[in-house]
Amino acid sequence: MSQTQVSSTSDAAAARAWEPTVVAFLCNWCSYAGADLAGVSRIQYPHNIRIIRVPCSGRINPAFLLRALQNGADGVLVSGCHPGDCHYISGNLAARRKFALFKELLQYAGIEPERVQFTWVSASEGGRFAAIVEKVVEQVRKLGPNKKLVKTL
Amino acid sequence: MTDSHEIESRLRQAAESLLREKKVNLFIGYEKASLPFRTAPLFLTAPKEAGRLVWNPFCTANLAVYLPRLFKAPADAREAKTAPPPPKVGLVVKGCDARSVVALIQERQVPRENLVLVGIACPGIVDRRKAERALGDHAALGAGEDAKGNVRAVVDDGTEVTLHRERIVADACLECRAPTPLLHDVLIGAPVEGKQADAARRRVAEFESKPLDARWARLQETFSACIRCNACRQACPLCAGCKTCLLDQTRPRWIGAGTDISDVATYHLLRAFHLAGRCTECGACARACPMGLDVRLLSRKMSQEVEDLYGYRPGEAADATPVLSAFSLDDSQDFITEP
Amino acid sequence: MTEKKIPIASLDKFLARLAERGTVYAPGKDASGDLALMAMPLGEPVLLDYGNFTLSPKAFFLPQTQTLLCFRDGKAQEPPLPEQAAFLFGVRPCDAAALRALDKVFLDSEPPDPYYAHSRARTTVIALACTQPMPSCFCTSVGGGPGDAAGADVLAMCLEADLLMRAQTPKGEELLASVADLLAEPTPQDAQAAEERIRAAEDQIAPVWTADSAQRLRDAYDSPLWAAASQKCLGCGTCSFLCPTCHCFDITDELRNGTGRRVRTWDCCAYPLFTLHASGHNPRPTPKERWRQRLMHKFRYALENHDRFFCVGCGRCIRSCPASMDLRTVLKEIGG
Repeated sequence: MSQTQVSSTSDAAAARAWEPTVVAFLCNWCSYAGADLAGVSRIQYPHNIRIIRVPCSGRINPAFLLRALQNGADGVLVSGCHPGDCHYISGNLAARRKFALFKELLQYAGIEPERVQFTWVSASEGGRFAAIVEKVVEQVRKLGPNKKLVKTL
Repeated sequence: MTDSHEIESRLRQAAESLLREKKVNLFIGYEKASLPFRTAPLFLTAPKEAGRLVWNPFCTANLAVYLPRLFKAPADAREAKTAPPPPKVGLVVKGCDARSVVALIQERQVPRENLVLVGIACPGIVDRRKAERALGDHAALGAGEDAKGNVRAVVDDGTEVTLHRERIVADACLECRAPTPLLHDVLIGAPVEGKQADAARRRVAEFESKPLDARWARLQETFSACIRCNACRQACPLCAGCKTCLLDQTRPRWIGAGTDISDVATYHLLRAFHLAGRCTECGACARACPMGLDVRLLSRKMSQEVEDLYGYRPGEAADATPVLSAFSLDDSQDFITEP
Repeated sequence: MTEKKIPIASLDKFLARLAERGTVYAPGKDASGDLALMAMPLGEPVLLDYGNFTLSPKAFFLPQTQTLLCFRDGKAQEPPLPEQAAFLFGVRPCDAAALRALDKVFLDSEPPDPYYAHSRARTTVIALACTQPMPSCFCTSVGGGPGDAAGADVLAMCLEADLLMRAQTPKGEELLASVADLLAEPTPQDAQAAEERIRAAEDQIAPVWTADSAQRLRDAYDSPLWAAASQKCLGCGTCSFLCPTCHCFDITDELRNGTGRRVRTWDCCAYPLFTLHASGHNPRPTPKERWRQRLMHKFRYALENHDRFFCVGCGRCIRSCPASMDLRTVLKEIGG
């Protein structure tokens, strides 16, 4: 399993071809369950994804997303329940406005829009989850490593 | 445009009677500062001191920044027992300042009934850096306003220089759509017409015309001189509303405290985002910055997006729900990724 | 004490010779158009007619962000320190004097601060005396002056067509000796002209009440004037960050998987969080306590502990304060 090239400069790591790391924030009730279903159904999706479970997409503070990028993530995916289906009724509706604005802000600042993406995946959409992960990882792979926001330590 | 001396005189009368009649126990306005091109915030409690108040092109501070600390809720029940009742505060507000006050009222940070807003229709205030630059290598010893609204400065070689208002007016004023305070209890001065919406949009469009990498380069260039002093945040009335800033938190620590460009960019990105739908474009942040950075680079875009996506401008209606505390089932979803 | 002169027209040659031995910083304008000490080559003629830089030169000795330790795979290492010599040309006498204050904190301490000591050792300070003080200047009230040499290795002084240069330290002597071929002997008239310019500059600086400040501040500790004076303070940090003698800092570890660094960054006593305890108690809970402490530190405790003011009268805090606070006014009011 490859790590983003922030801390290690060993020859072995350099020799391995770069693989993007995408951090995924998934809401517990829908998207995380959807990801689980993909696993149980043996649907293959890229291993580049690192999943962090949150109670609701409304829990997401953009500080989380920027932190992931600062720490060396090449991309970030956020997924919640479809609007209207939120376990907490309106968490994702409140989040939708934040996400729309944050995505505009990042692109305005010059960050490639494919690096931070938002979607809705329900608990029964294992296939949809896998397809979206596939798409996002490929897009991030084409962009190359995150150089703009990463903090070099 | 009403003559500044007339406004000043009516302002002093209004403050004097408000304090004398005990309609307010504190009146916040501006007074002469010790250096030219500046005024200093003035906190008055005695009616006879109302003569210290001034109104001129250098009344640049957004005095709304002082409101949250005056209305801080007691920390616990014990403090609540001995805490004095919230003050009645009179405040001088320009158009932009009034919007900040309204935005604070919208967020329940300050109670409307405890405020007496003395609104002044503002023709635009002077950016002291622009004025100082216009004098070249000379320092100003004094400055005042002439009959035409321009600034007359006495320079260190003894000469007098006229600086035309348009040349030295603050950037935020060039884009101001609400120079006449929308919320006020007293309004002094003939209403002033605001600028068109596209004044600010042009700057956003110009930045957006650059390709992504060029935008990032420009952002880094803009903020490369940031010394992380937090003056921008401390001068902002809406930032003043938060008890603890996310960016000061240490458990967990979201960004480093230093000038690593990654931390600097993250600070400004997060601050712009946290002010989305709350920033009232007064420009206090940019004027407070000791390094002269274009602090509003990102917030201009956020204000525009909030208006375009949700038809909302903060600080216009005191009973309007703040944009990010509300949602609609029809909110835009264009940004969602589909497989 | 060697005294020489060089035609102002030959200043470029002088600086170019220094550049052979290290990095030279000279007065110029930064990207915002603000005055700054910029690394040469400047691409523009060196400024000689200016007030003062926005940022004080303390940044060369106590940078805003400084790595104290590096961590690699869980082990600590000292960071590489720059070996190159640095020459700061055009430092105003107030800022040079401030280095004496910082030396008390960082060199006279036991042990001395190795990072600060290293910067001091490799840096030569060429101060430029002031002939046109600004309305915000008050160096003469805090033990300094427009032609003061404290803290400088060489004190330079602009005359009509020449730059007079006086070595102040062994480093300064060495520097002048290294460019002896560019220098000429000054005349008694040169020295007199210099004195006249300094006197003229001193006369323009309005005095500020600082006499018996330690005693008067001690007596005024509980004065109600502190609350009134500090009401407008925004806690923005500008004053401390720009001040050439302010030196409070914070230390944080920035780590990721056992790799990272320990950094020192500037801090400010006017920040609300500066004295916040882990218990939640804050002994300086409002701007009143913080502003009082700022003035006490600079005009009383520093005198009691270090025999000098921790203020050099550069006026940056007055010029840059977004709330137009002026400690000269406050000192006068508090002192009675």
